[in-house]
Amino acid sequence: MFDFMIAGVQAPIFLLVFVGFTVGIVGGFIGVGGGYMVTPALIVFGFPGYMASGIDMTHIAGKGLVSTLRHRQLGNIDWTLALTMVAGTMLGVELGVRTLVYFKNLGIAGIVLLVTSVVVMFSLFLYTQIETRRSHRALDVMKKEGRQIGRELHTSGLPKFFQSINLAPIVRCRTARVVVSMWVIVLVGVVTGFLAGFLGVGGGFIRVPALVYLVGASTHIAVGTDLVEIVFSGGYGALRHSIEGHVDMMAVVFMISGALFGAQIGSIATSYVRGPAIRYVLSYSLILATFGAVMRLLYVLTGQKVEWLSLVAVMLTLGEMIFLCLFICSLLYFAWRNKRGDWVPDWVKPLVMS
Amino acid sequence: MTDNANPRRRGAFKFAFWAVVAAAVMILTVRSYMSGQMAEWFYHRAAASGFAVNADTFKDATKANPATLQVTTGNEINGLVAIRVAKGDRLPRNTNGVIADTTVTKGRRAVLNGSTLQVMIPWEMKDAKGFKFKDTFKHKNIETWPWSGVWNVVIVALLGISLGLMAEGFTDMLGFKLEKIQHRATQR
Repeated sequence: MFDFMIAGVQAPIFLLVFVGFTVGIVGGFIGVGGGYMVTPALIVFGFPGYMASGIDMTHIAGKGLVSTLRHRQLGNIDWTLALTMVAGTMLGVELGVRTLVYFKNLGIAGIVLLVTSVVVMFSLFLYTQIETRRSHRALDVMKKEGRQIGRELHTSGLPKFFQSINLAPIVRCRTARVVVSMWVIVLVGVVTGFLAGFLGVGGGFIRVPALVYLVGASTHIAVGTDLVEIVFSGGYGALRHSIEGHVDMMAVVFMISGALFGAQIGSIATSYVRGPAIRYVLSYSLILATFGAVMRLLYVLTGQKVEWLSLVAVMLTLGEMIFLCLFICSLLYFAWRNKRGDWVPDWVKPLVMS
Repeated sequence: MTDNANPRRRGAFKFAFWAVVAAAVMILTVRSYMSGQMAEWFYHRAAASGFAVNADTFKDATKANPATLQVTTGNEINGLVAIRVAKGDRLPRNTNGVIADTTVTKGRRAVLNGSTLQVMIPWEMKDAKGFKFKDTFKHKNIETWPWSGVWNVVIVALLGISLGLMAEGFTDMLGFKLEKIQHRATQR
């Protein structure tokens, strides 16, 4: 047990390190900050709500840097794309926060926030899941036909449409191998930033699918590039929360220590899998988070009287971290076996590099 | 020494250098935290006029058994003591919250009886993002020193960079090859 004198909480160090580790794996692999998992976990450990958000945001900035450095080594970052999007993201976040304040003043922020979370996450899950299954099947067919398979395949027609918008200036993203109007990138930044600011999250789970399905970047590039955005937005969030007095730095240090190892595993694991594998994990994280949000919404709608709904929401959120980590680790294990020529299930073969 | 050994040796130097930097940043953070420096930055000024208190000293108080705090003056809070502060005043040592005048006037959670402050409800259950938590007088009506926010961000950035580069050095040292992925145009 460690006495966090600023947060006024006693909590076991290993739990914080463990949370940092698990969210590090997930964040490094699918390019998210993991705020929707960490904040509830910290509240369960006894941290006050406002402090849980502050600690989470500050740890995300540090963890984002660790993952970004590894993704930079793997060549998964398109700096042109990242830096073009930053301005749009910041503008979007500010608009989102102001909209949230508007709903707060109307006294319906809680319900609007939860309903929006459910709708956005479920829609993203549905689209990602359907498209990824289609890509998975296409990869399977190509593999059976003995064709050369690259690292990425996605079957969405949306990127073609957005890349055909001929509005100057046109940006050439060399690493991502995408040529697209700067306004498309900025718009993606504004929209995803707006949702992030409104929902009070880093926004990785919205930005990664947006980069893949709207801009046309490969999933690996989307993950690495999004982590750069997370470093910026997390750093800004950390500054704001610290000034408001919502950060206990010792909790942050313990979580970053765990994230150091987790982020390495998650980031390096991306080099052993194909794009659809990352998108599968992303879509499962979205549906699990949706279930958690539905439970919290029902809890709020029932006047916060049905306690088991809140308990189930917490269990789902914590279970999600464990489930996603196990999924990523098993993919890594199968990729390693596949490379050695050992047996792996048929459904895994198209998802991992040979 | 073979050519292969050079990257590994470079990796070892990289690992050692950044491990030292990361350790130094961690030691600096822990020392600053344990010495109470961070707490002083954190509980810097009063954001509202009221009574500076240490909320940990009366966390078990109830309506039936309220905590009685002696209203006094001074620069340090020791035990069941409350010190009068005006908005913008530097907070006395060991303060971790301010019970605002408005709260005392309402008289629901705390009430002033001459030279004593009685606290009846030291905490309430509140909600954040659909999750319940215990909301105490701790952190209430305090202002953090703004530059401590910059310090926090610098520490986190230094930690992130040093730990990230240390890990890179570690894998290089082990000869674990991580090559840049050549992203080809997406096949459809």
